[in-house]
Amino acid sequence: MSSRAQGLVLDPELTARLVSSERLAEARGRRSSGIAPLDGLLGGGWPRAALCEIFGRRSSGRTAIVRAALAAAIAAGETTALVDTGGTLDARAAAASGLPLSALLWIRCAPAQALKATDLVVAAGGFGVAVLDLCDAQLRAPDAAWVRLRHAARAQGTTVLVATGTRRLGSFAAAAVELDGGRPSFFGPPPLFAGFYTRATRARGAHDRESQLPCVSLAFTSRS
Amino acid sequence: MRLACVYVPQLALQAALRRCPEALGTPAALLASHGKNKPRVTELDAEARRAGVRPGMTAAQAVATAPALRLFTATAADAEAGAAALADVGYAFAPRVEREGERIFFAAEDLKRLYPAGEPAIAQALQAHAARLGFGARVALAATKGAARVASRAHELAVVPEDRAGTRAFLAPLPVHLFTDDDDLRAAFRRWGTRTAGAIAALPVDAVALRLGPTGAAVARLARGDDDEPFHPQLPPDALEEAIELDYPIYEIEPLAFVLRGLTDRALARLSGRSLACAGLTLRLALDPRGLDVREVPLAAPTREAKTLVDLIRLDLARRPPEAAVVGAHLIALPARVRATQLDILRPTGPAPDRLATTLARLAALVGPENVGAPAVVDSWREEAIAMKPYAPAGLSSAPIPSETRLCLRHRRPPEEVEVLMGRAGPTALRGVETTARVLVAAGPYRLSGEWWQDAAAGGSWAREYWDVHASDGAVYRLHRDARDGRFYLDGYYD
Repeated sequence: MSSRAQGLVLDPELTARLVSSERLAEARGRRSSGIAPLDGLLGGGWPRAALCEIFGRRSSGRTAIVRAALAAAIAAGETTALVDTGGTLDARAAAASGLPLSALLWIRCAPAQALKATDLVVAAGGFGVAVLDLCDAQLRAPDAAWVRLRHAARAQGTTVLVATGTRRLGSFAAAAVELDGGRPSFFGPPPLFAGFYTRATRARGAHDRESQLPCVSLAFTSRS
Repeated sequence: MRLACVYVPQLALQAALRRCPEALGTPAALLASHGKNKPRVTELDAEARRAGVRPGMTAAQAVATAPALRLFTATAADAEAGAAALADVGYAFAPRVEREGERIFFAAEDLKRLYPAGEPAIAQALQAHAARLGFGARVALAATKGAARVASRAHELAVVPEDRAGTRAFLAPLPVHLFTDDDDLRAAFRRWGTRTAGAIAALPVDAVALRLGPTGAAVARLARGDDDEPFHPQLPPDALEEAIELDYPIYEIEPLAFVLRGLTDRALARLSGRSLACAGLTLRLALDPRGLDVREVPLAAPTREAKTLVDLIRLDLARRPPEAAVVGAHLIALPARVRATQLDILRPTGPAPDRLATTLARLAALVGPENVGAPAVVDSWREEAIAMKPYAPAGLSSAPIPSETRLCLRHRRPPEEVEVLMGRAGPTALRGVETTARVLVAAGPYRLSGEWWQDAAAGGSWAREYWDVHASDGAVYRLHRDARDGRFYLDGYYD
């Protein structure tokens, strides 16, 4: 490297936005999940332009992972949307944890409208991440609906992240993560809820060479 | 200066045909009544004239002459909407337009830069745009208003030379009756043996003024290319209106939505001609036998998609149906520019502004406008309080990625009432609609209260004891006991 190049000092903001040539060469690429161990499990993050699934029972950390993915996408300058069946979003906690609420398109809807709303969002184009939150929804979607959503995600370059209670997408998902029951931790006495640990297992996308990890442990802290 | 004149002959009939485009190309006539007299044919198209229909016939006579004739009744709503739509032909090309009955005038000087092929191309573009709005128009470009008016009456498309001599030469062969609507004046010129503009131009203007007064002098000056009629252009109105008076009352929403689709299509065609979108809708429905139903249809963002607007109107009608049958509809669309955004070379491209606006409107039509937007924190200690703000992705800035992963509470809104069994150390079991479980660990209570200053109507004061409980189904729930009624409510669960 020349002495002139060594002496070159880049603007820190510009440096933070520089994209490596390897990343540019990558055809589809991955986007960070916002949680480093999960990125390790997924081989770099959630796949772009694909349907992804995250499933587990209540209090397994699905919502926290979804919110982390949204925060990471917004931090990267992407446009994001959350299709929230039941309108369960905890805006106060989301804002406190650094998610810029004004940058999030939030759609509250009934389960029957959720797929149609996600279709509309993805078809608009330009959305980096669209989350379909079906955690508490009793929805029997036909396979054709998932096929259509997968095609739309592929065409528009959107990562569609579906959060559910049980596995629903099957082979339609390019990556699926199963969350295995959160283990809550209390400290005290008197007992105070501190958070919980959960184990994330890759249920689909195991052929990825980037990742050699079968599962990772994730820790979620309570807001209080 | 160059002025464009767009002339729509028989504007009232063409305005009525706009709401019934399938009648184009068939014999059609307009009926109008004066006082208590029977309605008579006042305007008719070329097909009807060919079939033998003449102005002044009654409806029965006209139909007997041409059985395939479509008869329309002249309504004020059609006339107003037609005149406004004609003005919009001009506003699509110029910021200010002068309206004059069946014609509009506007300055066309700057259009030469947009149409380098020349003025014939401008005239064709104007005629094509008028056709898109449902008008068969004649177009003329000239240096003065009078010359443009006469040329538009004489030719389908006309470009009058810019200089005075050229204008005079262009007008010279045209018959005198095109220059004035005054029958006395026409008769006077006929008596003099002056049948063309060239013959009038040869007469001294002072002598014509002495014999025929100022109107005769104006015709003489116009024939010589000396027209000095002033041009009074005006800015477009703030809102765009389309209206229809129905021949029969409509009782159901779907047929009404079908009628409103036509109004919306026509309004959007006018807006798109001006590169605008619809930012708000007001619908005034005339009820049978009397009464008015006025409703504002909220839009999440400006849109040009008719289906979206009709869906929103249909939703609004379904939510609050009109109290009586509808006999007329008046649609007022608020124009707005489609949001523009500045792209960033270092950041991903977001959705296109117009696509996003349409998507927001369609989402609003699907789930209701109150359920689409950006979430916002409310200044309240109530944990479930949340607000929805309009979503505007422009001006997003990169935010730092949070360093730790925090738990989220999945709120139930409103909190669900549950049965809770209390022990000495807190809840020991809970039973709700979706949950029945033993409590393994209970943390709490955390007491919160507030809003004692609020009226009871606004929710009033509240006082709660919160518990975080680890239940035997594996979930960690958040519950509270309302201090006012002693009941337990499930706020949600951590996830």
